[in-house]
Amino acid sequence: MFKELNPLLHSELRLGIMSILISVEEADFLFIKEKTGATPGNISVQLEKLSEAGYLKIEKGFLGKRTRTACRITPEGSAAFADYVEALKSYLEIKP
Amino acid sequence: MNINFKTLIIMEDKILNEKESLELISKMIQNSQQKIKQGNGLTFLIFGYTTLAISLLVYYFLKTTQNNWYNLVWLGIPVIGFILLYFFKKDKPKYAKTYIDRVVNNVWTVIGSAVFLVSFTAGFVRIPVLPILILLLGMATAITGLVIKFRPVVIGGVLGIISFVLPFVMFGYEQVLIYGICVFVMMVIPGHILNYKGRKANV
Repeated sequence: MFKELNPLLHSELRLGIMSILISVEEADFLFIKEKTGATPGNISVQLEKLSEAGYLKIEKGFLGKRTRTACRITPEGSAAFADYVEALKSYLEIKP
Repeated sequence: MNINFKTLIIMEDKILNEKESLELISKMIQNSQQKIKQGNGLTFLIFGYTTLAISLLVYYFLKTTQNNWYNLVWLGIPVIGFILLYFFKKDKPKYAKTYIDRVVNNVWTVIGSAVFLVSFTAGFVRIPVLPILILLLGMATAITGLVIKFRPVVIGGVLGIISFVLPFVMFGYEQVLIYGICVFVMMVIPGHILNYKGRKANV
């Protein structure tokens, strides 16, 4: 039985962002940009979508004179990510 | 499928197949694991050198004047240390904070507070302040080394812990000198090694 893949996570950039945030406590915009190689505009749009779904928290602040956008995954985001991986397993026929 | 995500550019909001999803997750997680970074030893170096310089200064003043009020010069360590830290780190946005960063920060916040409390108390009560400080700093350094899995820092910390007896066997103002040397061995040497490895890892 195939589980449905969460469409919010089943897109390249959003999944990339979530995978980064699952492995660190907090990542800022520049880090996500460096690791994904995506354009700032595209990242912003996807961050916004993930944030609206409650999967991540975005904090805007200042570091010296620069603005800094820090993102961290929420418990809901972690749970959604875990569900997504579980669903993937069912597609790839990996037995638990 | 072998993708190097360092050069991969995710241009569009592409829909992946299941296998690609799994590859992406594992590559991103792998890439986010921060290896020893350049400048990791910076905090050790700033506080190590500041402590060394201040202890030499305190030693000089105490030795030449015998006036204990010069112990107030110790306050220069946090003041100069944090000012230097601010200026060195100001222009370097920290990209990501890992669990390891949080553990190391918290260890130093707790032990740093203890160091401050002990130093403050020593202004009013006679306690063997320098051995206690060496012990505390050695513990924090050793824990940091274990957490970041970097042997020179562990060795520095352990040497620090062991050398807490040194001020007991020294008498007089030479204790101050020994303290500076202990901090040098414990923080400055591992700090330089850490920076060197970080530079090499980033080439």
